Amino acid sequence: MFLINDLIALLAANLILSQALGTSTLFIAAGSRKNLVATAGVITLFTTIGSAASFFIDLAVPSSVSDLRLLFYTLVIAFLYVALLIIVYKFGSRWFEDMRKYIHVSAFNCAVMGTLFTINKRADADSALSGFGGYVSAGFEAGIGFVIAAIILTAAYRKLNSRKVPAAFRGFPAMLVYLGIISMAVYSLK
Amino acid sequence: MNNRKKLLFGGVLGDNIVLSGLMVISPVIICGDTLKNAEALIYAFSAITFLSVLISSFVPRKLPYTAKIIIYAVISSLVYIPVRLAASEFYPESIERIGIYYPLLAVNSLIVFQTEAKFYRMKKADMIISLLSCILGFDLVMLITGFLRELFAYGTINSKIVDINTVINGLAQPFGGFIFLGLMCGVYRYIRGMVSKNNNEVRSGTDVSDK
Amino acid sequence: MLKSVRKERLVWLDIMITLVTLELMSYFYYGIRSLVLAGICIAFGFAADLLSLRLMGRKFTADDLTCTSDALMLSLMFPAVIDFKIAGIAVVFATVVAKNLFGGRRNMIFQPAAAAYVFVLTSWGRQLLQFTEPHVKTGVFEKPDVLVNSASHSFNMTGVFKHTDFEILLGNFSGAPGTVSILLLSVAAVVLMFRKSISAGAFLGTIFGTGFFALLTPMVSQRGASLKYSLVTNMVLFAAIYIVSDLRIAPKRNYYAFFYGLFIGVFSYVLVLTGAKENAIVIVSVLFTPVALGFKNLEKKIDTAANEYENTAASTGNKTGEGEISVE
Repeated sequence: MFLINDLIALLAANLILSQALGTSTLFIAAGSRKNLVATAGVITLFTTIGSAASFFIDLAVPSSVSDLRLLFYTLVIAFLYVALLIIVYKFGSRWFEDMRKYIHVSAFNCAVMGTLFTINKRADADSALSGFGGYVSAGFEAGIGFVIAAIILTAAYRKLNSRKVPAAFRGFPAMLVYLGIISMAVYSLK
Repeated sequence: MNNRKKLLFGGVLGDNIVLSGLMVISPVIICGDTLKNAEALIYAFSAITFLSVLISSFVPRKLPYTAKIIIYAVISSLVYIPVRLAASEFYPESIERIGIYYPLLAVNSLIVFQTEAKFYRMKKADMIISLLSCILGFDLVMLITGFLRELFAYGTINSKIVDINTVINGLAQPFGGFIFLGLMCGVYRYIRGMVSKNNNEVRSGTDVSDK
Repeated sequence: MLKSVRKERLVWLDIMITLVTLELMSYFYYGIRSLVLAGICIAFGFAADLLSLRLMGRKFTADDLTCTSDALMLSLMFPAVIDFKIAGIAVVFATVVAKNLFGGRRNMIFQPAAAAYVFVLTSWGRQLLQFTEPHVKTGVFEKPDVLVNSASHSFNMTGVFKHTDFEILLGNFSGAPGTVSILLLSVAAVVLMFRKSISAGAFLGTIFGTGFFALLTPMVSQRGASLKYSLVTNMVLFAAIYIVSDLRIAPKRNYYAFFYGLFIGVFSYVLVLTGAKENAIVIVSVLFTPVALGFKNLEKKIDTAANEYENTAASTGNKTGEGEISVE
């Protein structure tokens, strides 16, 4: 019972279904199982580690200069971006060519940057979430949310790209409407 | 000249970044529910994107791809600061409402990825025309979305009440944004398909008459 | 091919017959307004389907009449006094956005009536969940003086259901007109299951999931009462028959369909129990669309694998046969 409630809470807090963050990246991820696993994995890494780093940025940056936050977040993601590329190159050079594109796609996008800003906003509103653990778990949750949304889209991917769908709506438009209806169901649960 | 015309209209009608490329769609979905929000987003997107791409065009081409992407992102994060400060003077209410989507405009894929894939392969003058066209394309979609969603979701136009007795509240919600944008994409593609079909017909007709 | 087409039409006919009986019951309780509402919904559904199919460059055939059953279903889920405009918009949404945009009846993703119901719930929730008492018959254009919450709402909030079993069976309690006639719905379920016009697996799964959890974690002090009320309130029976068990949406194999229904039943019960969410089953059925699609993808893979295996076996058999002949 608690598991079901947690799952529903996770759906309701899903950054894609409730805030449309990272929708374009999701469309890429849902294309194939390989894309899904790789993109979701890299995005979860970025959101989790990025959130941990953003905790220290939020601590250090006073609210009077909050406009600088974007710059610092960008620098953190840039550092992670380079670090991840180096790690994959050093320790998994066999997959480097394959993984490189997923890292490029996942680094600077709304899913990752949006997560950092959302966590900051939530921490401002709720002091219980403002600790280091709160940041990391929220970042990880955002990554899991991305995975769930990608699975939801993957299930319908073939039908949404089928020749039976009118040409004008085939692909992205149908995906948007599909996500919209699922998002509508999630919204009505709140 | 013909090429320039193509570049100018390409980003608005032929290859719209939102409706065709599905770029920068989160702000359109979430914040494009009123004309005021649309105005604020148009200002921010246009200013940040234009300035960032223009400044980034001076980054040496020979740098590695990753380094260039990072530099573009850092430049746009820096451009964001004065734009944001100016916006808090002009659109103080909308800034609050738009929230996190404001800074996210600075890391939009048009700046971070399209610069490298599209703009910097062009001559400077062509690049500026194409960039302006892409920005105009976004602005147009944002305006239409803001206008229609505000009209049907709140029964107002630019906060002035209009005589609509059945409003669809859901259209102002994120899911309404998803569905509306999906429908808009479909209609755009349908019209584009019809236009290109007509063009082909005209062209083939001309060919025949030429013979 | 011909058989499957015929089957599709017969399914529509079966569904329509049961829905019309529910509509008659609705007319008995709510008068002419209920009939007019159904008529408007069907007319809008038909017109929207006809127009959108034409735009898609397809012909309207007898199989496309399913748009009328979806529209009638939707009208039975609405209060009889709902604004006609809202009903019209909902039906157009069901037909155009939730169905034809994805390719129509040949490529169904969502149950159109369920998607449209959730759409109305998110935009006009108050109008959707306020009803007149049974036997209060308003004219076609009159507005009712008193609106009440549904009996399901009262039950969800207080755990009290102030109606006799006889009233429950006949649907003599406030709620969406087509979803309260428990006796008729039960008969419809049995008939449709035997005629294979609904997915028996999905239906039984939903009932079993809801019932099992109602016994396991009862809503009221008595387990029997919990079981009874959890099945008759919140549109559970109606949705289990017409939405969850819709052959166009549910997995084909009863085994998978059972689990699909079971998950929906359990989730919706938990939502009602913990959040008092009225008619949660309809929302959950939309939310579980990816699960149905996932099961269907799995079924397709199994079928493909089975076909490949058969082909391989057949070709191996042929080769062996040839070999035997050559040995001889």
